[in-house]
Amino acid sequence: MLKVKDLCVSFGGVRALQNVSFEVQQHEVLGLVGPNGAGKTTSFNVLSGIVKPTAGEVTYNGHDILKSSMHQRVTHGIGRTFQIPQPMHELTVRENLIVSQRFGRPDGKVKHQRIDEILKSVNLLHKAESDAATGLALTERKALEVAKALATEPTLLMLDEVLAGLETTSKKQFMETLKEIRKQYSLSMIVIEHDIETIMKLCDRVVVFNFGKVIADGDPEETFRNPEVVRSYTGEVHA
Amino acid sequence: MNIKVFLLALAFMYLGVPLLLGDNNYLIGMIASALIVAGIAVAWALLGNLGGMVSFGHAAFFGVGAYTSAILTMDYGVPVFVALVLGGIGASLSSIFMMPALRLRGPYFALAILAYAEIFKILATEATGLTGGGGGLLSIPSLPVFAGIDFGTKLGGYIVILNIVTLMVITYFFIRRSSYGLALKAMHDSELATRIVGVPATYLKIVMLVVSAFMTGAVGAFNAHYINFLEPDYAFSGTWTVFPIVAAIFGGYRTLSGPVIGALFIYLIDQLVFKNLLPQGHQLILGVMLTGMIVLSPSGLLPIITNLFTRTRGKQHA
Repeated sequence: MLKVKDLCVSFGGVRALQNVSFEVQQHEVLGLVGPNGAGKTTSFNVLSGIVKPTAGEVTYNGHDILKSSMHQRVTHGIGRTFQIPQPMHELTVRENLIVSQRFGRPDGKVKHQRIDEILKSVNLLHKAESDAATGLALTERKALEVAKALATEPTLLMLDEVLAGLETTSKKQFMETLKEIRKQYSLSMIVIEHDIETIMKLCDRVVVFNFGKVIADGDPEETFRNPEVVRSYTGEVHA
Repeated sequence: MNIKVFLLALAFMYLGVPLLLGDNNYLIGMIASALIVAGIAVAWALLGNLGGMVSFGHAAFFGVGAYTSAILTMDYGVPVFVALVLGGIGASLSSIFMMPALRLRGPYFALAILAYAEIFKILATEATGLTGGGGGLLSIPSLPVFAGIDFGTKLGGYIVILNIVTLMVITYFFIRRSSYGLALKAMHDSELATRIVGVPATYLKIVMLVVSAFMTGAVGAFNAHYINFLEPDYAFSGTWTVFPIVAAIFGGYRTLSGPVIGALFIYLIDQLVFKNLLPQGHQLILGVMLTGMIVLSPSGLLPIITNLFTRTRGKQHA
């Protein structure tokens, strides 16, 4: 489905990604983990078209998406969220989703029933007419971030630390919501997350980044036992 | 502004003003000039509000529209009303040259557009065969008689520019309430948020630039036939950029009618009051007023009027 091969990104002298390769299969949830600055968000930025890679290939359902613009990738079925929520200011929650449907769907049609369904699935229906920039709490802003991406009707949803900053109860509820969404919309997902418990519960597979390189790729439980991963990710060394 | 107030204001402009001031060429001419500023202010605000592009170069569109219409009527015998539309199209075509500037943001975009405006002024000065150069164009055909009405008079000109500005406001209204308008409104403060859900932001910006240029060009074309004279320093004067910006910000550039109200207020008070009080440098007072408005009500004059109106109605109901 998604194939990333030998991806390289440099910012001046800094090599943010070095020959990064991974794949995501249909309906799979892949976790991207690693310390801060390891290259996880840069990978998302390349996949969503914000950053141009210096080398490498990315295909999605056989299409070379590196040739597509940011908005074309959305209509190809790639949706994403940001760690710091990016609501469309001056619009209501519902209007945020209207714009996402109108421009994100290949046929450009706005389905109001679908919008209500999405708002319900992320527990935002009661806030539909609220101002997106000022009328929402952090959990709701995170939910809106997911809802906007869902409104584009993606087949691959990329979630960038969507649970970060939430307190334990909200985090648990939000994770359940994500599981439901995955089932309801038959999605593939890539999840950037620091919390190992979340990764274990949510992901089928993990790819571990360190200093812009992929150092491990496999089953979450096995991967987190890998000494190199433990060293890079937690700073601890297991005997 | 709700639809009832808009229709009342429109009725006053179409019926009240001609009935009350129809015989006073000076005042009618003054209001027509204010509407010229209002037209550019609406076009400028459309670009600023929908898409978040602050332009310092609308004088270029105004000048190109004016010259296109004047040349087409003088050299090719194109009817004046057709030439007004072609003036707008000419300005739209000139905006295509400015598209590389859309890659820039904020002050960089504003300055790049300012530089483009200067280029068009130089072109108009140098292309003497076409534009008459620095000497300008004289005896540009007046607005014609149409359906028995002489639009070449001050009152006729007022009606024409009122039609143009009304059409512009209605167009702006429909763009703003469409899904494109929603996306453009969101782009003002959160472009990345719109791009990431599939909004072709650059394409929409291009469309807005072309529409805004068309509107300004049509107003410029009207002005050429209204005053029957053009020369580069006048047609591409910075006044056609600065005055509308001041008017739009003063009235409330993020609202539909704010730029029109701002233009009428600013232009008329400047010409009828401040100019008499301070014949030299009267526009200094406008600067002070604008500063005061930004400090007291950053959203402009319209919210103040709306608040006063609401309070008065509230007291009446109490």
